[in-house]
Amino acid sequence: MFDVTELVRPDQGLINPIIYTDPEIYQAELEQVFARSWLFLAHDTQLPKPGSFLQTYMAEDPVLVVRQRDGSVKAFLNQCRHRGMRICRADEGVARAFTCTYHGWGYNLAGELVNVPMQDRAYHDEIDKSKWGPTQVPRLHNHKGFIFGTWDESAPSFEDYLGDMVWYFDALADRYDEGLTLVPGATKWVIDCNWKFAAEQFASDMYHVPSSHASALVALIEDPAVLAEFQEQSAAAPGRQYADNGHGSGFGLRPDLVPTQAGPDFDAWVVANREQIYRRIGEQRALAVNGHNTVFPNFSWLTINNTMRVWHPRGPGQIEVWSWTYLPKDADEPAKQAVRTSTIRTFSAAGVFETDDGENWTEIQQVLRGHQARRTTFNARMGLGHERHGTDGMPGRVTDDMYTEMAARGMYQRWADLMAGLSWAEIAERDNARRQREQEAHRG
Amino acid sequence: MSNIAATPPTRTDVDAETRYQIERFLYLEAELLDDQRFDDWLQLFDDDIHYWLPTRMTRTVRERDLEVAGPDGAAFFDDDKAFLTGRVRRLASGRSWSEEPPSRTRRLITNIRPVLLDTGEFEVRVNFHVLRSRAERHHDTFFGERTDLLRRVPQEPGFRIARRRIVLDTTTLLAPSISIFL
Repeated sequence: MFDVTELVRPDQGLINPIIYTDPEIYQAELEQVFARSWLFLAHDTQLPKPGSFLQTYMAEDPVLVVRQRDGSVKAFLNQCRHRGMRICRADEGVARAFTCTYHGWGYNLAGELVNVPMQDRAYHDEIDKSKWGPTQVPRLHNHKGFIFGTWDESAPSFEDYLGDMVWYFDALADRYDEGLTLVPGATKWVIDCNWKFAAEQFASDMYHVPSSHASALVALIEDPAVLAEFQEQSAAAPGRQYADNGHGSGFGLRPDLVPTQAGPDFDAWVVANREQIYRRIGEQRALAVNGHNTVFPNFSWLTINNTMRVWHPRGPGQIEVWSWTYLPKDADEPAKQAVRTSTIRTFSAAGVFETDDGENWTEIQQVLRGHQARRTTFNARMGLGHERHGTDGMPGRVTDDMYTEMAARGMYQRWADLMAGLSWAEIAERDNARRQREQEAHRG
Repeated sequence: MSNIAATPPTRTDVDAETRYQIERFLYLEAELLDDQRFDDWLQLFDDDIHYWLPTRMTRTVRERDLEVAGPDGAAFFDDDKAFLTGRVRRLASGRSWSEEPPSRTRRLITNIRPVLLDTGEFEVRVNFHVLRSRAERHHDTFFGERTDLLRRVPQEPGFRIARRRIVLDTTTLLAPSISIFL
């Protein structure tokens, strides 16, 4: 067995890297972290009509998400209750019903068992079909088009789970009058690394950009002088980081919404809709909250780069990345194509930013095969003791710099509390006490 | 953004000499990539090149025509000449960490099927199997079909690539990245 207090010390910024490799810890994560947290399932626009379905995962559990005839959404385990076969084997599509191919048990769109072959002869009409539907995801929440689910009946409401992170999330989710839509199709790839490297980086890490992505802008900017000036300016820009409830958001403060990475066709749309964006989320938030984000545990996005993804865990040493490009629903075609191509070129498995992230994480995971390497404590102490609350009037714990690991420590604190088996009430109590201590220390 | 798999009005078979020239051209291209002569490789593309690798998903037989993403859908590559040039510039920067140190690649280009279009251009479908080895033990395989649109030019090596559509046979890419060209 393991003692989580030995594994991470968020208050001291120390991480025992065995949390990235140990199979027993991983199994505990499936139970204590993923089965208790709110997980991203789908965006509304992926399920356009009654019968629209998609397959996704809640950690390792295959889940079907289905649009109902009344417009609501249901999600249930993609597992037949007879012998556990996958009920639906297409990634997405439109269906009237689902039939298990093994013995033919049939389910309706709501995931109710409606047909058992040879019910009279084989089961003597004694099977109570109402009791043998696939396991339903008991709680779903649609936040401005983003559908989340949790297995945990005792988990806080989605609003309480997000806490102040909602303000940072809404810089994306609430940005446009007509909302968002996704470029059709997910881009999926496999990286041999622990899921926490990816989740943590998107929660907390602006610091890696100048080094890891040193070459990305070389692809985007031809003139070396322009490139050097841009790199210097973006690294030196003032920034902020938010962190609480395990979530994180970090960003450099920008003087204007444009230029965007997507180029002139999207810039023109943004400029034409600038007032709309400011009216919805405020000028300060629209300009500031443009960076990296993770909603604990494994849903991440880059606000200004139009990419969002889930890091599905696949054992302690592997993830599947499922990423999507999002767009303003009512943008004109040239603007949409500009966003689509720029995101593909930068943040996908062949993107000039993204390829270098996978390289770091797989190398770390390889190094951690070593016995000594796994016993060597990691330093997550950047900005320790410099946490702040409400910088610039932004809600929650917000530092006065984007170069900090406050959100990484926050993520590992939430992870440790869940792994220790604390109840949600106990976690809330401890978080409140920590916030109070932190605020007093800074006043003191 | 034309889908080059769409059926043009006429397609005629090519003679043995043309077939030989096209095969020789595609083997040369593969050699330039395996030898990491990326600047020379770029010269093989016409200025209006569309270099495209759409994503793919598992669909039922009934919805199979929706398996490969369309021109408005998700993709791994969707590049024009300027961005391909940018990628090559990045590879030469010495700081492109997914290719520094560089991958070792081996390209097998087979089942080359050229046809002459009534535009005078050639549409060439090929099967490919690309193996990539990285660092100590890492290796990836990429396999699928490419459809190229080739134009004859007077200068060596005789053709330019005007469209490339790459379709992998995998849905979930079983690799940490595609930091090479396919």
